[in-house]
Amino acid sequence: MLRKSLSICLLGLLLFAVIGSAVQAQTLKIAGLDGGWGREHWDELARRFEAANPGVTVELTLAQNIADILRPQIIARNYPDIIYLAVGSAGGLTDTLIKEQAILDITDVLDMEVPGEGVKVRDKIVPGFTDTLITNPYGDGKTYLAPLFYSPCGLFYNADLFGPGKYQLPETWDEFFELGNQAQQDGIALFTYPTTGYFDAFFYALLTQLGGPELFNRAMNYDVAAWESPEATRAFEIIGEIAKYTHPNTVAQANVANFTKNQQLILDNQALFIPNGTWLPNEMKDAPRADGFEWGFMALPKQSKDGDSYSYTFFEQMYIPKGARQVDLAKKFIAFMYTDEAAQVIYEKAGAVQPILGASELMADDDPNKLFYTIYDDGAKASMGAFAAAPPVAGVDLASILFGTIDSVVNGDVTVEQWQKDVVNAVAKIRAAIDAQ
Amino acid sequence: MKQKGSKIFVYSCIAPALLLFAVFMIYPTISVFRMSLYEWGGLSARRTFVGLKNFKVLLDDRFFLRSFQNTVLIITLVTIITLSIAIIFAYILIRERIKGENFFRVVFYIPNILSIAVIAAVFSAIYAPDQGLINGLGRLLNPDTWVNIQFLGNPRLVVYSVIGAMVWQAIGYYMVMYMASMGSIPTHLYEAAQIEGANRVRQFVDITLPLIWETVRTTLVFFIISSINISFLLVNVLTGGGPNGASEVFLSYLYRQAYNNASYGYGMAIGVVVFLFSFALAGLVSLVTKRDVVQY
Repeated sequence: MLRKSLSICLLGLLLFAVIGSAVQAQTLKIAGLDGGWGREHWDELARRFEAANPGVTVELTLAQNIADILRPQIIARNYPDIIYLAVGSAGGLTDTLIKEQAILDITDVLDMEVPGEGVKVRDKIVPGFTDTLITNPYGDGKTYLAPLFYSPCGLFYNADLFGPGKYQLPETWDEFFELGNQAQQDGIALFTYPTTGYFDAFFYALLTQLGGPELFNRAMNYDVAAWESPEATRAFEIIGEIAKYTHPNTVAQANVANFTKNQQLILDNQALFIPNGTWLPNEMKDAPRADGFEWGFMALPKQSKDGDSYSYTFFEQMYIPKGARQVDLAKKFIAFMYTDEAAQVIYEKAGAVQPILGASELMADDDPNKLFYTIYDDGAKASMGAFAAAPPVAGVDLASILFGTIDSVVNGDVTVEQWQKDVVNAVAKIRAAIDAQ
Repeated sequence: MKQKGSKIFVYSCIAPALLLFAVFMIYPTISVFRMSLYEWGGLSARRTFVGLKNFKVLLDDRFFLRSFQNTVLIITLVTIITLSIAIIFAYILIRERIKGENFFRVVFYIPNILSIAVIAAVFSAIYAPDQGLINGLGRLLNPDTWVNIQFLGNPRLVVYSVIGAMVWQAIGYYMVMYMASMGSIPTHLYEAAQIEGANRVRQFVDITLPLIWETVRTTLVFFIISSINISFLLVNVLTGGGPNGASEVFLSYLYRQAYNNASYGYGMAIGVVVFLFSFALAGLVSLVTKRDVVQY
């Protein structure tokens, strides 16, 4: 009898302890990239989220090589609740999780209320951001990745070199190459690029400009005909033409160790244009520069004067991996990321801009960043997205075939025709793998 | 009974090391072979058995063949150049009793204790187009006609640029090994040879080389293993495999396929080939260089 009552007592105590701990302490594990934006804003966001949700502890793991840190943990089934790492980042972790269908559907977060604002997340995010192949990688209308920190991409230049009596900003590709000939006589190259990886934004905007969003979407869905179309051919040719005007040191410096030297070519007036995103001025803020240097930024030149101009919008993402323990809490945090409060913290601490309505109002008029974000107000259309999720095909690394080959085109080792043929072959192989599924 | 007790003692002494070896070496190696038969992204439980398909794809993969070629070129050239220079330097330092012997010994050894990231940074600076050491020197001597050599940008040069850095990094290590081996050769052999009228080259070929032959054989295996490993580290930091894969080696290609291309199983198939290749090459080298051991 005594034994029985004792065991009941113990059981009760145990249950109490279990329930107590469940109610009391919830830990939200967030792992992410400690990249160009730094980590101050994350620390502040974690602090504020904890303050708004008593009993919740946010555990932040931010590192430059976060993919290398997370890989063994994920294999050991030790999942963070939220991962902040953009598609296409070094290490391919996010891309692999997408291909492996190991990311949770968070479409319901869009219908959650932004904490304390009485508006749905869906209505707070700038239209278009949750309709892309990046956030909805399977093209099934469901959102898996939440968009963060957007940045228009385009061509950066030294504004001091342009203006009355100086060079004229090119509006069309013809003018662009004409300017290239003119600059060549002054010993300045028309173009350089940090690494071939930066051609993603360039190529996507170019393809949208030449063939419209419809062609771009077909191309991103591995439609072989789209990659063989005259518009796509023209895109390859334009880059082939640009290759001839590229600064001769570019390829040797187009690697992780030396890409800033290519960015330095712009600061030194050795090259006129470089494709990049709005983080560039911050990245090069300590670098020496030519007298009177001032950053300028424009969308890609157009096909004709009355054609459309596009600027690719780069943004990062956060998502909940399958296997995360605190799914509800993680969703709550994602909704919190779209509050005005969070956007304010992110802008003030990191200078990053959240893709929410009204975010650009956070920027002061004298903020040099404002110039970059007004590119869409000046008539450029936004282009977004990336390749749809596809099963991995051994030996076919499309990104390095599509973009990496540009180094060889610049070197003159691969012709534009051969390059396009290689891309079409790679796309066809991936298409075949999709159809076989 | 006593013998049995000592056996138990011996086994229990070996057991921890054996266990660690099994868990961290044997099991992973077997796993590599097993995983090479799967189509798998490496992160989830979704994996399909595909048999030898990964190996079939490998045979047709021209990017893999290029990384194979680069690796073979690197192993061959790095071994030949480093071996020759290291032996000659070791011989000079040991036999010629030049001034500052210890100084040179330290100077040659320093690159070996530097991390690969530092070596990559040093060679980035040496190979750079405008401010680089080599191009700068060229421009100084030839100000009007000098055209930048694109060490890391020219696909025909980039592998040799990597080889240059690897040789610089490795010489000191092997030199010290050869010096240790040469140092134990009794000097009376050289004195006798000198009395017989043998010149220094003769002495080197007929006394030094045969007596350090076993050390040379051992280091040849080291060369194979370390060239495969260090070329990966260096390529990753210095060139990223570029331009357009021209400096890709075995392991960097394995890494890119397994991680960036989400083809973990395929990466493991490359791992199997690397494993077999390095094993076979080490065996072959060992066989070809087998001589009767000369003793003093």
